[in-house]
Amino acid sequence: MSISTPGGPERRPTVVSTGKKPAAGRPAAGDRTAKPGAGKGTPRQGSGGKGRKPITPVKVSQGRAWGPTALITAVCLLAVGIVGYAVYAAAQGSKPWEKRAADIKGIVDYRDKDKDLVKGGNHQQGPVKYTVLPPVAGPHNPAWQNCMGDVYDAPIANEHAVHSLEHGTVWITYRPDLPADQVAKLKEKVVGKEKLMLSPYEGLDKPISLQAWGYQLKVDNADDKRIDEFIKTLRVNASIEGPNALCTQGVTATGTTPRDMGNQMSDQTQG
Amino acid sequence: MTAPTTTANAPDETPVTGSGDRRSARRFGILALAAAVVVGLLLGYAGGLLTPKLTRPGDTSAEAGFARDMTTHHSQAVAMGLMAFQKGTDPEVRQIGVDIATGQQGEIGTMQTWLRSWGLDPAGSEPAMAWMPDGAALVKNGLMPGMATPEEMTELEAAKGRDFDVMFLKMMIQHHLGGVHMIDGILDAGGDPEVTRVAQVMKNTQQTDLANMNAAVKRLGG
Repeated sequence: MSISTPGGPERRPTVVSTGKKPAAGRPAAGDRTAKPGAGKGTPRQGSGGKGRKPITPVKVSQGRAWGPTALITAVCLLAVGIVGYAVYAAAQGSKPWEKRAADIKGIVDYRDKDKDLVKGGNHQQGPVKYTVLPPVAGPHNPAWQNCMGDVYDAPIANEHAVHSLEHGTVWITYRPDLPADQVAKLKEKVVGKEKLMLSPYEGLDKPISLQAWGYQLKVDNADDKRIDEFIKTLRVNASIEGPNALCTQGVTATGTTPRDMGNQMSDQTQG
Repeated sequence: MTAPTTTANAPDETPVTGSGDRRSARRFGILALAAAVVVGLLLGYAGGLLTPKLTRPGDTSAEAGFARDMTTHHSQAVAMGLMAFQKGTDPEVRQIGVDIATGQQGEIGTMQTWLRSWGLDPAGSEPAMAWMPDGAALVKNGLMPGMATPEEMTELEAAKGRDFDVMFLKMMIQHHLGGVHMIDGILDAGGDPEVTRVAQVMKNTQQTDLANMNAAVKRLGG
């Protein structure tokens, strides 16, 4: 409003101020419609020689107006960014393990394919026939295979292993012809960690097969990153009995024939 | 006469453009205010949405590492404790065994609940003990401090009578010493107050156990 100082006619400031407010841009059009055919400057020039002065402030004020506009735009962009990130982070963080499991390339989800199979674990003595091999779910022996990061050097019984899967174990199996260095890599992932176990398995169509309750993934070698992804996503999570289901107190002996002893401990002390 | 023209023009123009400008300016002001309010609300909402995410322990935090590793560490103590309850000959050994097994299994539940409430998997993506400053050096053959090797566990399984009792006590003393070291790790790291509180209770329990087990070993002549 520095224009008011010259003390010109009252109108001038009004005109000027009208010129100023338009700073946002729109009013220019208003001027034109008000005085068809005339340029923006015409009314101001008409107000006298001094009228020229206002022109400069008008331009200045138009320039100044970009400040707030830019600020508002920046704030809006920032807001959109923050909101966007929050929504993305919230959506990503809460992505359930089931979805992350489905994202693992090559995984077979029997929870989706065969709902009855995955439903639950009735206990059953003696041999059980499994349609999927190595088995991923279904009825199983009352005794589970010990799954305290146990590394078995000979095949174990499906009937005990399935019980371990029910307790949240990821069971890694490998074809007996898998090179020793590959087996060593698998062993490293398993040893000392509960809810994991490793054993050779006869007749696999791929060198390595991973099982969790209702899930299976077959890979060609121990360096495949999907092995760690499978473990991270499904260990304990895939359990239908929760994180407190035991892995100790299980059968520690190898052999593919299930043991029918109710008490695994006496089983172990015998064997 | 320029002056009259201007006056004639000006009154015409001023009301039109002036009030139009004022109106549009007012409209703009209201819109800007509305936009500011909406933006403010969105920011507040986003802040509310983000804050718990940003403040709760993350996947590589010491708290998450402790919860995962101590679950593994506790799992072996549960295994040993149950063995003592089943096979121990000395009544105190049986008593200590079942106390440790049930107590630590309960603590496993607590730690697993933390992980779930933090939106984290029970399994980590970092190596064991990575959450402790000197952690990696403490891991031997994939085993955390104080943990028994598979061979030692097989030996314990095979032991009988007084031999078993003494072997169990000695192994559990080692296990507890390692456990207390890990607990000190999370207490030093500070962080989540609930984690610190539970860790302190764990430490109290294990130190009492240590005193009792050391006395029991002496009594059994181990």
